Amino acid sequence: MTDLEHILTVERTLVGAPGNSKKKALELISEHLQQAEPGLQADQIFTSLNERERLGSTGFGNGVAIPHCRLEGCRQPVGMLVRLAEAIDFDAMDQKKVDLLFALVVPQEASNEHLQLLSRIAERFSDDDRLTRLRAADTPEALFNAFVRD
Amino acid sequence: MDLSNQIILFVGLLFLVSITASILSARIGAPLLLVFLVIGMVLGEEGLGLMFQDIQLAHLIGSLALAVILFDGGLHTDRNNFRVGLKPAVSLATVGVLVTAVLTGLLATWVLGLPPLYGLLMGAIVGSTDAAAVFSLLHTAKLELKQRVAATLEIESGSNDPMAIFLTVVLLELILSGQTGLDLMVLFEFLRQMGLGALLGIGGGWVAARAINALPLSPGLYPLLALALGLTLFGATSVAGGSGFLAIYLAGVLMGNSRMQSAQNIRRFHNGMAWMSQIIMFLMLGLLVTPSELLPTSLEALIIALGLIFIARPIAVVISLFPFRFAWREQLFISWVGLRGAVPIILAIFPLLMGAEGASTFFNVAFFVVLVSLVLQGWSLPFVARWLQVDIPPNANMVQRVELDIPGQPEYELVGYQITGESPVLNRPPAELTLPEGVKPALLVREKRVMSVYECGTLNLGDTIYLACPQSQIALLDRVFVTVKVPGRLSDKKFFGEFVLNGNTSLEALAMMYGFPLPEDSKGHTLHSYLNRKFDRPVVGDRVRLGSIELVVRDMQGDRCEKVGLKLLA
Repeated sequence: MTDLEHILTVERTLVGAPGNSKKKALELISEHLQQAEPGLQADQIFTSLNERERLGSTGFGNGVAIPHCRLEGCRQPVGMLVRLAEAIDFDAMDQKKVDLLFALVVPQEASNEHLQLLSRIAERFSDDDRLTRLRAADTPEALFNAFVRD
Repeated sequence: MDLSNQIILFVGLLFLVSITASILSARIGAPLLLVFLVIGMVLGEEGLGLMFQDIQLAHLIGSLALAVILFDGGLHTDRNNFRVGLKPAVSLATVGVLVTAVLTGLLATWVLGLPPLYGLLMGAIVGSTDAAAVFSLLHTAKLELKQRVAATLEIESGSNDPMAIFLTVVLLELILSGQTGLDLMVLFEFLRQMGLGALLGIGGGWVAARAINALPLSPGLYPLLALALGLTLFGATSVAGGSGFLAIYLAGVLMGNSRMQSAQNIRRFHNGMAWMSQIIMFLMLGLLVTPSELLPTSLEALIIALGLIFIARPIAVVISLFPFRFAWREQLFISWVGLRGAVPIILAIFPLLMGAEGASTFFNVAFFVVLVSLVLQGWSLPFVARWLQVDIPPNANMVQRVELDIPGQPEYELVGYQITGESPVLNRPPAELTLPEGVKPALLVREKRVMSVYECGTLNLGDTIYLACPQSQIALLDRVFVTVKVPGRLSDKKFFGEFVLNGNTSLEALAMMYGFPLPEDSKGHTLHSYLNRKFDRPVVGDRVRLGSIELVVRDMQGDRCEKVGLKLLA
């Protein structure tokens, strides 16, 4: 079982990132994830994340979104945490704009791990106190810690 | 003159006590009708000594009250409920009542040592579920049931009294005329009762809705006009030999789902009238009984009640629902909500009225059965619903909102929401809200000041916003302004899962995305079509497991499965 701190690094934690639209935010995420996994192309990641969004928004509610996909060529699960400078429209069920995103990309064959990781990420975002801490964090380190610590 | 004043004082106090008793009943969870019944018994000949033995008058008041209650039930029955509830409910209201009556009748024949026809009469008297009891239970604020279950129970309880009445009357006539066998006349009588009832009810309701829209009256008269039309229909149908109860219920359903002016006004008035009818009817029935006379037959009555609850009703439900796809939990719950109420007691008056032999036994046994049913089933209902997991997260129906008629515009309503700390739109400018089609913000009230939505800046805590909204969009609008938070199993994430999928998503694409094995014969299916095939008519809360994920129906628009929850079971 991979721990959340092993799939997320401080380098892949952004605070106050620009991202004026859903598309822009997913592009930003794809570019950063490409650097984390040399075997992956940014446009490949973007296409897959986008395909997932077409099935239904990954907007999780309360201003959080968890875009995710499985990808061939990905060797290990990688995650990325972003807090946007300004909240964007994400077609979330509760109609709220999104300012916190956790993107998750996992290897094609890791379907069980995929679901387990998603479920644990979702659990973290279900905690209202944690959401307050995440929104109060003003550096990548603080945001990272607010997310991974229990 | 003094006597009149004293009677008015007494009646006023009686209503006051009954109405305040509802608070007590809510606190201890007792069914309200039971409380009214007990108040009646306490006032009665063996309590405070009030004598009431006029059976003829009791029958008149009972029938009138029942008609008003059914009319109100019809007015509040949402047409969407017919999509999932109509066929099963009709099956329960006909086959179900027959099976219940026959099985309970056989038991009564044996327990009471009666001739078979008399036993069957006993079964028929307690054959139908109670509209008042079921309606009031379904609309209590703390319980939201799966639509398949709620709709079936609601329509069943509104439409099954005619069947019980029919069986009772036929059996009584057989007994009184000394016949022993059934003939074709019975079938003809059945068709006439139900046929005329349905025809005049639907036709009359259609005409009544148009009459209400056509007549220019003072606003206070519309609810009375509706009531007068309903009662006229009830009387006319009964005089013509049809079932007035069926007619007035169906007329209510038709009127409640038509675009009628003053519709809110009419609904609110009838809701009050239905409460008054329940209070009057149950108080009266409590007065009518002589509690000490219940004792000699109490053991037999208890056996009949338990047989009805635990054997006859469940078997009737399983048989009636056999053609429909109900989960076992749903069937069990529907069995448990076979609440008996006023109808059996009123039907038990029939033998007294017609002077049948041993008539008082029927009355006392029926009364006892109703008491047992209200105590045992009525009291335990919320717990059973939770235990069988047929409840779903509370939704828009329980939202605190103000609804106002717009004169001359039956298609629109003025809807008001107060902005609370939980509201998803708190601190957002009204102009930026994504509103359902056709909805127009009208005005805003802030600290007793009325302003237009353009001068208010953002929506603040305590503001009330009013919007003009088409009838069909109110549920969607609720979601914009209100979030209902519940803990535990019924919380949004635990019940519907972490993510939301569109109903038109292809099942294959989903399987690719999450890597679960595609179920057999699911090629080419969307989530909508797959769930439709799986559940016949899916309702919110239906769920199916695929590998390590679960799909949960989240939003239905008519027959379309619009949104499906994705729950991770990993």
